Amino acid sequence: MSLVTDVWFQLLRHLRMQLRMRMWIVVSLIQPIIWLVLFTQVFTSLSTLPDLEGVSYLQFFAPGVIVMTVMFGSAWAGMGLLHDMDMGILDKMMATPVTRLSILLARVMASMIVLLVQAMVILGIAVIMGVYVTTGLPGLLVMVILVSLLGLGFAAFSSGVAMYVKRSEPLVGVVNFIALPTVFLSSAMMPPNLLPEWLDTMRRFNPLDYAVTGVRDLVLNGWVWPDLLSSLGVLSVWAMMGTIFGMIMFRYKLQ
Amino acid sequence: MNAILVDKLTKVFPGGIVAVDSVDFDVRVGEIFGFLGPNGAGKTTTIKMLNTLIRPTSGTAIISGYDIRKNAAGVRRRIGYVGQNVGVDEYATAWENLVLYGHFYRLDRSTLKQRMNELLDLVDLAGHEHRMVSTYSGGMRKRLDIAMGLIHWPDVVFLDEPTVGLDPQTRAHIWDYIRALARFLNVTIFLTTHYMDEADQLSDRIAIIDNGKIIAVGTPDELKKSISGDVVILSPCSAREEDCQGFIEKSRQSLADRSYVVAMQAMERDLAVYVTEGETALPDIVRRLNQDGIEVRTIAFSRPSLDDVFLRYTGKIIRDQEGVPTTYADIQRRRNKRKS
Ligand SMILES: Nc1ncnc2c1ncn2[C@@H]1O[C@H](COP(=O)(O)OP(=O)(O)OP(=O)(O)O)[C@@H](O)[C@H]1O
Ligand SMILES: [Mg+2]
Repeated sequence: MSLVTDVWFQLLRHLRMQLRMRMWIVVSLIQPIIWLVLFTQVFTSLSTLPDLEGVSYLQFFAPGVIVMTVMFGSAWAGMGLLHDMDMGILDKMMATPVTRLSILLARVMASMIVLLVQAMVILGIAVIMGVYVTTGLPGLLVMVILVSLLGLGFAAFSSGVAMYVKRSEPLVGVVNFIALPTVFLSSAMMPPNLLPEWLDTMRRFNPLDYAVTGVRDLVLNGWVWPDLLSSLGVLSVWAMMGTIFGMIMFRYKLQ
Repeated sequence: MNAILVDKLTKVFPGGIVAVDSVDFDVRVGEIFGFLGPNGAGKTTTIKMLNTLIRPTSGTAIISGYDIRKNAAGVRRRIGYVGQNVGVDEYATAWENLVLYGHFYRLDRSTLKQRMNELLDLVDLAGHEHRMVSTYSGGMRKRLDIAMGLIHWPDVVFLDEPTVGLDPQTRAHIWDYIRALARFLNVTIFLTTHYMDEADQLSDRIAIIDNGKIIAVGTPDELKKSISGDVVILSPCSAREEDCQGFIEKSRQSLADRSYVVAMQAMERDLAVYVTEGETALPDIVRRLNQDGIEVRTIAFSRPSLDDVFLRYTGKIIRDQEGVPTTYADIQRRRNKRKS
């Protein structure tokens, strides 16, 4: 029971902190909008490709932007933990009876909530720009589950790595090293059948790609159950792996 | 009754650094216990082991009846930890910081509210509790930090260098708060410091730690008395002299047979001579050294202070400030100040 209340009160702290950083909120919303506008302009000619089957690049790319925003956001979750560590906040908390696991869970959940709000705003803008969600409201709900699982995994992994390296420079290095390749080794920006064969194979090991295809199906193609279920399955495993990794690092690095 | 009982506590960090080396001491209930040592002595490592933040390599400690190895949860409920870094959340108000900690200790709403008001008064933050901590001064943050460690009326409060980096006035204020809470809450206080005057002023008893080992324990008076008589500090070499240690060693040999010499301790460019009585020893020391062809450049004597206690036991002068080694001139200045 104390785990739930411990998570709750820390969650309040994290969310309050996020809300107070107005500048950060503005920046993190502007960035995906720039992506949406800029990329669809750069890649206008792609819409003429037969592989897109008459779908506008915006329609195709919007799911990618949503998923990418969630991934980039959650991959940085460990930074907040490092801030607490540097400031002596973590040590101070660890000397209280607070449940150790709640520290990880509250962080990961806070980052999830913020990113979901962001994802919804982006989707709203995309809809205004002309994107049509085939599956409607139920589809939206499944999208939320898909990106939450993806973000959960990344946030937990990031926190685990932060706990392991204990300094921001290596974490920045790891995130930068992972983030862009993860995007390019997926169908976030390119239709899968335009990818070279090795890339098309690689993306099957990439959790981001499962989120992208899942969300994209829900936006463009409706309920493609086999694909959707495999996306949900893989992303659940991913989220679980992340959480376990994070927990092990917490166990190992704190006592 | 002991609030803290430490038994052969040891911490060896990976790489073989022995930060704390089989340390034994006890702290009585209601006592302010000062843990005095220079940078890197092992103060923080000790305090972190006692607070269950790091696991001892061997040995253990009992705090308020709970073993730090076997019952960390029990220890955590009964202690308050105020670390070397100010562990407060800058992006929140003092009120929010305190509420969060109140919940960590599972306080109910009304108790929490009452304690918060009492503590805000105690540390003089009443009226500022709804301001963002980011707008606080360093001293205010430290006071909040201390209040957060007290929210659950702990048995023992650990303060790791509570006044480091603060200006003299703020330091004096923090000392007042520490004394006030010792009286008001009747808690046991364990504080580390590398300021001599802080240990001297605040502590009922002091342990001196150096290189991970405890070298002396006692009340400030006992420690000062343990080096009976006076301390003469002399320098046998000019500022430009390169073989200063050679001259110090020569002086040492030349004074070794004097009956009034209790002990001697070489420093970088000075020699400390512990004597039974400064007034009579001083002229004889000068005469004796002159006979042996050693010119005394500077010489002074004083009643022993904690500085001398530390010097006597470690052969080092404790640093007055982080990263700034204390010079002979500093000691002189402090001595003169004390005399006047
Ligand atoms: N995590 C660590 N890993 C390896 N060595 C460490 C670690 N923490 C401390 N040490 C070493 O242990 C020794 C004691 O450090 P400690 O921080 O306990 O000293 P301190 O007395 O608190 O000093 P200060 O006055 O500078 O705070 C030092 O030599 C330090 O380098
Ligand atoms: Mg320290």
